[in-house]
Amino acid sequence: MKRKSWLPVSLALILILTLLSACGGNNNGVNASPSSSASDSASPSASEPAASPSASSSESASPSALSGKLVIWTFFDQVNDMAAKFMEKNPGVKVEVKMFPGDQYQTKLLTALQSGKDLPDIFDLERGYIGKFIDSKFLADLSAMGAEDLVKDYVPYVQGLGRSSDGKLKAISDHSSPGGFWYLKETAKKYLGTDDAAQIGAMVSDWDKLVETGKKVYDQSGGKVHLIENAGDLFDIMAYNTEPWVKDGALNIDPKWKDTYEVQKKIRENNVDAKLEFMSAGWGTALNSGTVVLTSMPAWAGFMVDNKDDKAVGKFGVAPTPLGFYTGGTYRGIYDKSPNKELAYEFIKYIASSEWQTYNLGKTGNMPGLATVYQDNMDSFKSNFFGDQNILKPYYDTVTKLPALSADKYGEEILSLWRKSAGQGITNKTDYDKVVASFKKEVKNAFPELKVD
Amino acid sequence: MRSGYTHTKAVLYLLLAAVAFVCLVPFYSMMITSTHANSDIASKLLLWPGTELANNYERLVASVNIWRGFFNTVFLAVTGTALSVYFAAAAGFGFSKYRFRYRGFLFLFVLGTMMIPGQLGIIGFFKVMSMLHLTDTYWPMLLQTLYDAFGIFLMRQFADASIPDEIVESARIDGCGEFRIFHRIVLPLMGPAIATLAIFTFIGKWNDFLTPMIILFDNDKQTLPVMIASVKSAFSSDFGAQYVGIAISVIPLLVFFAVMSKQIISGVAAGAVKG
Amino acid sequence: MNTKINKSFYGYIFIAPFFIGFLLIGLAPILYTFYLSLTKWDGFSDPVYVGAANYTRLIHDSFFFQTIGSTLIIWVMAIIPQILLALGLALILNERFVRGKHFFRAVFYFPHIVTPVTLGVLFSLMFDWQTGSINKVLMNIGLVDDPVNWFNNPWWSRIIVAGVICWQYFGFNLIIFIAGLQGISKEVYEAAEVDGATKPIIIRHIILPLLRPVMLFTFITSVIGGLQLFDAPLMLGDGPGNSTRTMIMYLYETAFKNFDYSYGSAIAYGIFIVVMFFTAITTLATRTKE
Repeated sequence: MKRKSWLPVSLALILILTLLSACGGNNNGVNASPSSSASDSASPSASEPAASPSASSSESASPSALSGKLVIWTFFDQVNDMAAKFMEKNPGVKVEVKMFPGDQYQTKLLTALQSGKDLPDIFDLERGYIGKFIDSKFLADLSAMGAEDLVKDYVPYVQGLGRSSDGKLKAISDHSSPGGFWYLKETAKKYLGTDDAAQIGAMVSDWDKLVETGKKVYDQSGGKVHLIENAGDLFDIMAYNTEPWVKDGALNIDPKWKDTYEVQKKIRENNVDAKLEFMSAGWGTALNSGTVVLTSMPAWAGFMVDNKDDKAVGKFGVAPTPLGFYTGGTYRGIYDKSPNKELAYEFIKYIASSEWQTYNLGKTGNMPGLATVYQDNMDSFKSNFFGDQNILKPYYDTVTKLPALSADKYGEEILSLWRKSAGQGITNKTDYDKVVASFKKEVKNAFPELKVD
Repeated sequence: MRSGYTHTKAVLYLLLAAVAFVCLVPFYSMMITSTHANSDIASKLLLWPGTELANNYERLVASVNIWRGFFNTVFLAVTGTALSVYFAAAAGFGFSKYRFRYRGFLFLFVLGTMMIPGQLGIIGFFKVMSMLHLTDTYWPMLLQTLYDAFGIFLMRQFADASIPDEIVESARIDGCGEFRIFHRIVLPLMGPAIATLAIFTFIGKWNDFLTPMIILFDNDKQTLPVMIASVKSAFSSDFGAQYVGIAISVIPLLVFFAVMSKQIISGVAAGAVKG
Repeated sequence: MNTKINKSFYGYIFIAPFFIGFLLIGLAPILYTFYLSLTKWDGFSDPVYVGAANYTRLIHDSFFFQTIGSTLIIWVMAIIPQILLALGLALILNERFVRGKHFFRAVFYFPHIVTPVTLGVLFSLMFDWQTGSINKVLMNIGLVDDPVNWFNNPWWSRIIVAGVICWQYFGFNLIIFIAGLQGISKEVYEAAEVDGATKPIIIRHIILPLLRPVMLFTFITSVIGGLQLFDAPLMLGDGPGNSTRTMIMYLYETAFKNFDYSYGSAIAYGIFIVVMFFTAITTLATRTKE
């Protein structure tokens, strides 16, 4: 009897040994840089972008004057890097970054804000829920602190999202997140006849053209290859190219959603999409193997590209989508009752500076929030995956065209309800009216205070 | 007759093996996954060990102090389990062997506390802890061990089933005090139940996520599950590093389980001698 | 007489820690939730007292009633195989001839150790519409021509969710049953075997009745815990037409996604009543059997 109890233990040992044997022979430790994450280790290591001298010299006029301690709450590990850079510049300041898991971060934040104790000086807000926080009393008015100056050269949509409903700046982001069609040049050449971004962009410049191109790809490949990943990608593309979901306290369904829905059904019926979920396993395989020609994704999702042994270097291109779009974004606000508001503002000032954003573009490939940083690096910036293609240019065109809208507390949740109803509708070939009816029921239930006709 | 018996045996073994296989697959997959690169994890069905374990591990320790979290979790889980099991055994024994007034009602009340969904209470819980100045300490997690309704219920049922009232009575006649009866006679007899509850509690405390996440602020005080989860941030799903973290957190559970599972058997043996 | 009262009094001492702990930190959150359920509160502004408005809304909320139905369906589909499997395996592992008891017992408990994150990734890899391994196998052996869109069908979705729960928790019940079986003294079986009783008779007339308190525990905790299903369904989503949305998921979505804490609090009390109702039914049902 005693002897048998060895079994589970030895089983555990075997499993541990499996693990150990797996790591033998690989000790090169490529990604050992401190505070690095998947996104920066896998993202294209770009050539050093040119720093904009004018901006950075004026920022560093009085570096040693600052002192004190700042606490930042975030869900995003690259904030460590910001803090390190800020402290390097201001040796008198100690910045403490406290990181909490992404999904539960907003619960944590709200719980703490409610009790009013143990709060940070600065906290991060994600695009998905910034709308719920933006009008709250917890965020300091940055406009009053002079932040209008910081964002005057910003990409319009990036600064717009950080504004409350009365137009005051409440939060600032240090980056933009433009989306585009990523493609393997080889696959594009085979099925579209070209790997030039502009020519591909022209083939899919509107939805009808996209469907026609998609049919051809499907037929030509004998049903093995699809043009795009998922009809559902159109939700992301249309999300910020439509009117807000709520107007004057009533649900407002932009008529464009109807056209979009019909296009989505057409895409599904004609096998234009591979029916793969965004960021799912199959989605990643299709992106890397080329069973889908054009994958719509944001600039920050480069970590999904399989770059083992540099095999993806120079292999990718990025083409414009029929309408420009962005996905996600991290915003940073100051807690209104923080005793260190001035110092916190200095930090916000730093991340809004071209000094930081230029550095960040070079290190992680994250697109800047300042239009001037785009402009200054437009000709010099090169990225690993994209070889000689100038990606700042198309991204710049995309982000500058996006409308500057402020986030409201309903937008993202109602969009996700629409995604749910319309997504099921596309799969089941449901009529638009039925989809709208079930959508309205969901909205009415989730937000009874809204007028739903 | 004899061959029929062997057939039955063979069928039973086959059944055991099949269920064991189904149980092992995800576990194996979890271990294997931790040895692969992110892009592979997201895109392939992985069956064999890869070569990325060292890299995944380095990224993990670069972004969080995983071993600090490990020891924090060990402390909380061990202390929490010991306290929780002890108080649950005491209360279970109390409900099982004493006929005090309102016993039925009080027991129903204990059960009733299990029926309230805990998810929403978290805001109120935080408020109370904040008022008592206990946020950012381990006290909230340890105080929670006092009221483990599930454990009390389990202990009571086992005491009802396997501790005869006569044993308690005869100990009293021998002149034992009530606490002595509990510590010297009842606790050893409850061996299997205690081991069972210890396994459940330990695993529950080990994986506890929401309470430490909400209560603790200091990165150095944070527990393993929270640290592992924070590796996954909004812009980077570092599955590889996350899986190494999960592997690090699961292996001690296995060892603990192996030890406690043996306890379930040997505890009975000890009890049987006395009974 | 005097000593008897004294002894009973010790009962209070033994159970006191629970009530002290509960009063100290367990009660306030529950009362606070109740207070919130009588207000309108979005988590940012100050709560405004609205009386029973949230409860009126709850009574007319067809989505809430749908989640009760879905929870019950999934629960029944998960609990029956789970308990049968746990009991069957516990009885087998209790046999003297079985070798490697420790091994099997440990392995059967593994699923309970696996975290929801792992479960989510694993099951989406297996049941994915286009690339899932299950669909690949089915197509290879020619059972289906096109991949099955599992999560577009309410019943498949529920079966998968119930399967995951069953898989995750049967080991948990198995351990409880084994501990219960260990508590039955060996002389009881041996005496019966000497009398010539067959295995099924021993199981039915000796083991199961002796296991009654443990079974009762399993049933009641399964009802209480099972109706508060959360982790496994959450990672697989609401399902088509909300067919796999459970009561707690609805609470979670309302409070933490739509930031309607006050209505979420009312839902919490609604769930409390539903769980209490079904626990009472279970308790009565097990009594009638007696």
